[in-house]
Amino acid sequence: MKVAAILMAAVLMPLGAQEIKLPASLDKLADKAEETVDVTLDGSLLKLAARFLSGEGDEASAKKILSGLQSIVVRSYQFSHEGQYDMADLDEIRAQVKGPQWSRVVGVTSRKDREKVDVYFKVGGNGNLGGIVVLCAEPLELTIVSVVGTLDPTQLADLSGQFGIPQFDFTIGSGDGKKDAK
Amino acid sequence: MSSLVLALFLAAGSAAYGADREFDRVVKAIENHYGVKRTHVPLMGVANLVVKVARPAGTSGFKLAVFEDLPSPSGSNGRADLDRLMNDVCRGGLHPLIVTHSRPNGESSYILAGEIGKSSELLIATFERHEATVIQVTVNVETLLKMIGTPDDAHRMFRQDRDDDGR
Repeated sequence: MKVAAILMAAVLMPLGAQEIKLPASLDKLADKAEETVDVTLDGSLLKLAARFLSGEGDEASAKKILSGLQSIVVRSYQFSHEGQYDMADLDEIRAQVKGPQWSRVVGVTSRKDREKVDVYFKVGGNGNLGGIVVLCAEPLELTIVSVVGTLDPTQLADLSGQFGIPQFDFTIGSGDGKKDAK
Repeated sequence: MSSLVLALFLAAGSAAYGADREFDRVVKAIENHYGVKRTHVPLMGVANLVVKVARPAGTSGFKLAVFEDLPSPSGSNGRADLDRLMNDVCRGGLHPLIVTHSRPNGESSYILAGEIGKSSELLIATFERHEATVIQVTVNVETLLKMIGTPDDAHRMFRQDRDDDGR
């Protein structure tokens, strides 16, 4: 889903940037869920998308975002009643974002009530991010988002609410990248 | 942001494969898996009078296969069975963009694209309790925009009972 910027993206992509591995235990959640939605936009699709943008005006920003991304994966589960998943179901994912390259961001809030949102950033090069993992847990809904690629922290808002990614207010510390190291 | 979404739709369209053989392969896989034959639809022009399939505005190159009287494994077994079937199908080069399962509706959908950059065709396989449809369709930017913008509803754009889209 991308073409022209493949080589450029490969160069810019931080070493070690890779999609998190979604644990097999999520299949069990899918079995319990009333509704599931999986969205998988891989690097080739994203990069091809970048080719359609002109690089001028608003499209320039979008082009910049897309050309740096390798993948967007969203897994969403809706349940009929509370208690059908446990936060421990996310432990395998959390374990993958505990390395020194990852930080859990504070100040991320959700517009929905009773929603626990954890956002993890992977450190990239030149002040950019190398990936994002979002775990969004509501009483009746669980959403897991993995974005792999190079993107500017200021571009986060542009991803919020898109492609099945939940709508968030990304308020990252005091603007100086303040994070809660995990 | 709209340009980002637009670009992704364009890309998704371009990502679709576009070969009839892929459509035929999916149809054959379903026939083999369930031991059924596709229902003959004599005239595509009246197809949506026979089956609940709509042609949203912005689509062309419509190709349809309908399956009736499918055995209906229920619950998670049915979903896992379908996932295995479609995963096997995708090993031939198709790429699942959007997959949905709805237990209350007994409905599963798979929106598949093919080799990147080859065409703007998508395969949409929708399974209900006792029937299934496979649609090969060429989509334009606006239609793709709707699909990716609302992934949980994307496959329903091609249902006749969703009459808010053009046909």
